[in-house]
Amino acid sequence: MKIKEESSMKWFRLIAFAVIVLSSAACLFPFLLIVSASLTQNEAIIRDGYNLIPTVFSLEGYETVFRFPQQVLRAYGVTAFTTVAGTALGLFFMTMAGYVLQRKDFKYRNFFSFMIYFTTLFGGGLVPWYILMTKYLKLTDTMTVLIFPGLMTPFLIILMKNFIRSAVPDEVIESAKIDGANDFTIYSRIVLQLSMPGIATVGLFLALQYWNDWFTSSLFINDTTKYQLQYYLYNVINAMSFVAQMGAGTGVSLGDMPTESTKMAMSIIVTGPILFLYPFVQRYFVKGLTIGAVKG
Amino acid sequence: MTKKATKAVAALLSFVILTVMLAACSGSNGGGSGGSGNATNSPKDSETAGSGTGTGSDGEQTGIDLSKEVELQFYMLGDAPKDIAIIQDEINKMAKEELNATVKFNYTSWTDWDQKYKLLLGSGQQVDLIFTAEWTQYQSYAKKGAFQPLDELLPKAAPALYEFVPQDMWEAVKIDGSIYTVPATYKEYVTDGFVWREDLRKKYDLPKPVDIPTFEQYLEGIKKNEPTMTPLSMNSDVKTNLMDRFRGISHSPIGALPYGIGIYYDKPTEVYSYWGSDEQLQDLETMKRWQDNGYMVKNVLAVKDTLQDQITSGKAAAILGDNPTRFNDMVIKIQASHPEWELGYHPYPLTNGIATPVHPIHNGFAVPASSKNAERALAFYEKMVTDKRYNLLTQYGIEGKNYEVVDGYYTMIGDTSSNGFPREGMNGWAWRNPEYMLFDKNYDGVKAIFDELDKIQVPDKFTGFAEDYTSYQAERAALEQVEKQYLFPLNAGLVKDVKQGLETFMEKAKQAGLEKIQEEYTKQWLQYVEEQGIK
Amino acid sequence: MFKKHGILKELVANRLMFLMLLPTLLFFLINSYTPMVGIYYAFTQFDFNTSLFNSQFVGLKNFEFLWKSGVLLKLTLNTIGYNIAFILLGNVLAIALAILLSELKTQWFKKTTQSIMFLPYFVSFVILSVIVYNVFNYESGFLNTTLAKFGAEPVDVYNTPWIWIFLIILFYLWKNLGYSMVIYLATITGISDEYYEAAKIDGANIFQRVWYITVPMLKTTFVMLLLFALGSIMKGQFDLFYQLVGNNGMLYNTTDILDTYVYRSLKVTFDIGMSTAAGLYQSLFGFILIMTVNYIIKKINSDYALF
Repeated sequence: MKIKEESSMKWFRLIAFAVIVLSSAACLFPFLLIVSASLTQNEAIIRDGYNLIPTVFSLEGYETVFRFPQQVLRAYGVTAFTTVAGTALGLFFMTMAGYVLQRKDFKYRNFFSFMIYFTTLFGGGLVPWYILMTKYLKLTDTMTVLIFPGLMTPFLIILMKNFIRSAVPDEVIESAKIDGANDFTIYSRIVLQLSMPGIATVGLFLALQYWNDWFTSSLFINDTTKYQLQYYLYNVINAMSFVAQMGAGTGVSLGDMPTESTKMAMSIIVTGPILFLYPFVQRYFVKGLTIGAVKG
Repeated sequence: MTKKATKAVAALLSFVILTVMLAACSGSNGGGSGGSGNATNSPKDSETAGSGTGTGSDGEQTGIDLSKEVELQFYMLGDAPKDIAIIQDEINKMAKEELNATVKFNYTSWTDWDQKYKLLLGSGQQVDLIFTAEWTQYQSYAKKGAFQPLDELLPKAAPALYEFVPQDMWEAVKIDGSIYTVPATYKEYVTDGFVWREDLRKKYDLPKPVDIPTFEQYLEGIKKNEPTMTPLSMNSDVKTNLMDRFRGISHSPIGALPYGIGIYYDKPTEVYSYWGSDEQLQDLETMKRWQDNGYMVKNVLAVKDTLQDQITSGKAAAILGDNPTRFNDMVIKIQASHPEWELGYHPYPLTNGIATPVHPIHNGFAVPASSKNAERALAFYEKMVTDKRYNLLTQYGIEGKNYEVVDGYYTMIGDTSSNGFPREGMNGWAWRNPEYMLFDKNYDGVKAIFDELDKIQVPDKFTGFAEDYTSYQAERAALEQVEKQYLFPLNAGLVKDVKQGLETFMEKAKQAGLEKIQEEYTKQWLQYVEEQGIK
Repeated sequence: MFKKHGILKELVANRLMFLMLLPTLLFFLINSYTPMVGIYYAFTQFDFNTSLFNSQFVGLKNFEFLWKSGVLLKLTLNTIGYNIAFILLGNVLAIALAILLSELKTQWFKKTTQSIMFLPYFVSFVILSVIVYNVFNYESGFLNTTLAKFGAEPVDVYNTPWIWIFLIILFYLWKNLGYSMVIYLATITGISDEYYEAAKIDGANIFQRVWYITVPMLKTTFVMLLLFALGSIMKGQFDLFYQLVGNNGMLYNTTDILDTYVYRSLKVTFDIGMSTAAGLYQSLFGFILIMTVNYIIKKINSDYALF
């Protein structure tokens, strides 16, 4: 019996290995092209296209992005702040919501779930929301407007609810209630710990959303010191292409505007920090956190 | 669950209805987007006029009420220069004293700017001055009431400005009989012209492109002698960059006409349908020839590079049509990167005799409907244009810090990384004042071209026309789709049987409502021509 | 009266739970439900000088452009077709990859490959479209230069509509598999080891273990992802199509979806009425679809449904 199990396991591992390696290569290849292009001279990109090794090496893409280092650093700072604050707050609210919504004894859970989900189906569109934010809530040029709209999405809330439901068996909650714990204590002491993988996942997605956000800056922020990172970078690129197109004709040569290399450099700069974040989150995907919960 | 579902839906509906009612209440109290009461604010101000007059630096009386301090919200496209805060303070020092007003300069950046422009005007938020141009859809917005009419305000709030701008320019920016924007008075040309690699032309002894046949010969020559280069620089916008330019030099139309309408420059009252005509068939056959001969890349509809980038990187050798300013920018660029190259330029007007200077609508500033400070805004704008201190500060920065005047030329101090305010850093194209303007030495090339064009200038008969497409807006949107799907491939020369392809396109276009659109447009156009007395 | 009596009782008895849910409810009230009044725009003729409720009511006029061009049916079919492919293939492959990855033991290998497979999520479609152009363009693309080396005929990918059906699905998978895989992986990690131990003792091999334990546990997640995807079936994926196909009219027959059509049509006008109308059409479609599917799922197993 042991031998049979071993060989089928071996085959399985082999297949798994091959598939994963191929998929990773497919994912990596275009990325390598981007890295190479970010280190290539702009002219060479337009002329020769993308290659795995830069045909004409140049750092002009990165130079353009970092031309005004304080602005870039400030944008990094703003985004870092909104990401951390937003993710922390958002996770707090969403874990509570997810916990409540999956409690089978919470009578109106279906009604509220539907209410939340409904917002993904229907919406008033951009203009009413814009009017709400600017005219009625007066949130233009505030940090609040960068954090508030992204705090929760129906998708993440329902995802959270499912994670909690599969990670926390009803018996655990029952036994805690018998011991006299109220809902909030159950939540903070038990649920949070048991659903770590879920929380890590949702936290990661939420953080990513904040990190990549440029839309709220675009609509609501006029103050350049409050620009988010992605928005700042988009501006660098769009300004270059638009001025070139407009032939704004200032007569002064604003120097070579290496649009393509800059676009590539920007991709790399933005992805970098996330790549570092991910391994930390992986730590929580560890099996075994859930073992023994019922027994204990 | 059905019972619960009905309960849920019912509760939801009642909730939504409640919110709607609440919003309706606040909406009809005049706080909603726009509010019909705003446009009538200006007359109210004038009723209390007389109490306090402006004391401009030249001692003129502006005749408006300056008793209340206001902050004006000024919106411009693009990005602000780094030193904007300094400039804003300097300006406000003067404005506070002279107009009891301060201004905040806001920029939309180039990301999604048209979306933001839409929201700024449509959401009813407080905007006092905003940039306009034909490419920001000035005519459509004006017709729909997005801006306040300035006819009565100008003589009262900005008399010097009113006199400074020539009367024919005021006429040219009128939509439905009212002035909605203050035009810029600087005359420039954005007419098209052939661009080509002159060094290669000399090398292979090719003819100078002055019209389509000679241009074709040049392209053929490049194809033969430089196999790695693409002769024609072209991208996916085959409508503007290819067909419109081609028509411009081949048929002398009155302007870039939409919906396949055809009108010759010297016959404004004769309207025909270019689409479906033999004229178009011939043009499309030429495009096919160009594609078959390899002058353009086969996948041109997927190309996103700009036309200029393809030239300056050496990928392509010629552009069908570009304006003098962009041409000059390319020349400057390659001077630095490839000094052994040369670029040649031949303006279309030298061949067809039609040189139209930029229409006054091209750069202007308007007062949106939502502004409550129209008079103060205009008075302020008058200072921006006519008062040398305001003008130089907002166009070039601080003399001695951002720029110097050497031999009558503008010279930047430092370089683009260290200087916080490059020339026209605030994108002040609209409030240029030809009397105060300073030019960089590099711009002489463009000026030379302008001088040549001045000799043959004729008025722009087309840009002043504002179509009202409300009656056919559905068809218009549907037509866009048909154009992209069936006409673009024809324009790019990718359809094997041109005649058949054109027939298919016309059929689909008619289904989408082309005839209705053309009919309505023609009616409006002819009315416009008659009212304006255009010959 | 009975309803009110019931809710109040619930509220008091479970007040702590309601309190915990409150921030979320408030959020959606403010951020999503209040702006919903804007749906009314779809039925009005927009005018800068009047507020929303004073605008002229024009009934269904704003919806006309959707069917005037005659392509509404084709657009709807394209949109649904692509989305079904995305959802099915996307989820099946994501599950497969997650299972494969979870069974591997080497930690560093797992971590590295996970990160790598997550990378495409960050590559915006703008950049992807440039890379794709570099590979497939007729004159100098990677594909054709390689074919030339072997003496084969070059292929004109950009002007061949049917190839793009596969290409678009491929690119979608490339970009999104990493993301979905992470979700499934997290769920798998939450499955107690005890089940597997018990199965091993009973003599099940790896394939049986996967099929009888892991896959059923993933059902809830799958259904959840499915329902969300269906809800936005008429609106998603704009970036993908717009960047990769763009202005290439030759490909519209097989690749145009409702979103790109609406975007192009409305670029030339700024009419808020028409764009809201288009959005409403998409919403209604998704709504009906969801309600139907959720109802069906509820009949099968009420635990799996979204609500």
